[in-house]
Amino acid sequence: MSDSDAALVARTLGGDLTAYAGLMARYRDRFGRYAFHMLGNREDAQEALQDSFVRAYRSLASCRQPERFGAWLFRIVVNRCRTVRRRLQRDRRFDADLPDDVPSMGERPDAFEWRDEIGQALDQLRPHYREAFLLRYVEGLEYAEMAEMTGAKEPALRMRVKRASDQLKELLRDVHVR
Amino acid sequence: MSMSAEHDDALDDEVLRQVVGELRKPVRLDPSLDRRALDRIQAESHRIAPPASRRWGIWIAGAAVAAGVLLAVTLPDRGTTPARASAVALEQAALAGDARPVRLRLAAPTSSRVAVVGDFNDWDPAATPLRRAGDGGTWIVELRLKPGRYHYTFLIDGRRWARDPNSPPAAESDFGAPVSVLTVS
Repeated sequence: MSDSDAALVARTLGGDLTAYAGLMARYRDRFGRYAFHMLGNREDAQEALQDSFVRAYRSLASCRQPERFGAWLFRIVVNRCRTVRRRLQRDRRFDADLPDDVPSMGERPDAFEWRDEIGQALDQLRPHYREAFLLRYVEGLEYAEMAEMTGAKEPALRMRVKRASDQLKELLRDVHVR
Repeated sequence: MSMSAEHDDALDDEVLRQVVGELRKPVRLDPSLDRRALDRIQAESHRIAPPASRRWGIWIAGAAVAAGVLLAVTLPDRGTTPARASAVALEQAALAGDARPVRLRLAAPTSSRVAVVGDFNDWDPAATPLRRAGDGGTWIVELRLKPGRYHYTFLIDGRRWARDPNSPPAAESDFGAPVSVLTVS
């Protein structure tokens, strides 16, 4: 049976870095998925996750509920993704203008293209809409948990999720494969 | 974290179900990112850990020296842990020749304890408690910090975060707590 988060946190605070490696391995792929969808590419997702792991380690002593280490770390990941996202948006302004309209999309793309279309559609959402949508439907958080994590009020989060859902439906209705 | 969102009515839409189903598929990241994170952690620890020849114990004196107090810090030979590192980082900041005195204060008359956590003490709630001032309602701590920009916040009664109203707010916080920015010049 694997060690609990609380046990691994305690061992880490005692100086055992292999325990922290265990925590990172436990959450890498799950939170990496969120970072990947939030940032749109693997390289930035890995950078955001790596930064999150380092920052979490630095402040591990302030994790007051080590049994909820995952939720605590996820909050750090969400905030790192916000920061990286802002940097990406700033950089992109110098690269190219964002399209104003929904791009023309091909007919019945295969599964690979479908994933690509979803990525493009997510990229067109406002970051707060995308964040709310991913937290709610992909990560499965309750609105109260989302409010605690993001600092936004529940009604605002519900609105963001609805707007994101409506926009994704509009962007993808003509191209989804099944 | 619960998973009840799977049953939310909004996912009655076929397109959204397809989208969410695709987005929930695993995303594999490079496992070596863990190694790189550990390398960074170890590099940071080494910057504040003592040389191996002195690892069984050193006397660190900083601002406390001025008050006639010596602080003994014994460092383990297995590296610096977050909690221990915070005390070391704070004292080393104090040891630096160009450290500046900084006084932080917070009005919290109904609180029983206040601590400050920030970049200067590795966000360790136990590292830097404030003391109650003579008026009974104000909490104070004196730090010695090298010139630089620090993010920090107060922790009241071990459970409530409070930004310093005397300093500008940080634009963002990784921890979801209200954070202030302190610039030492």
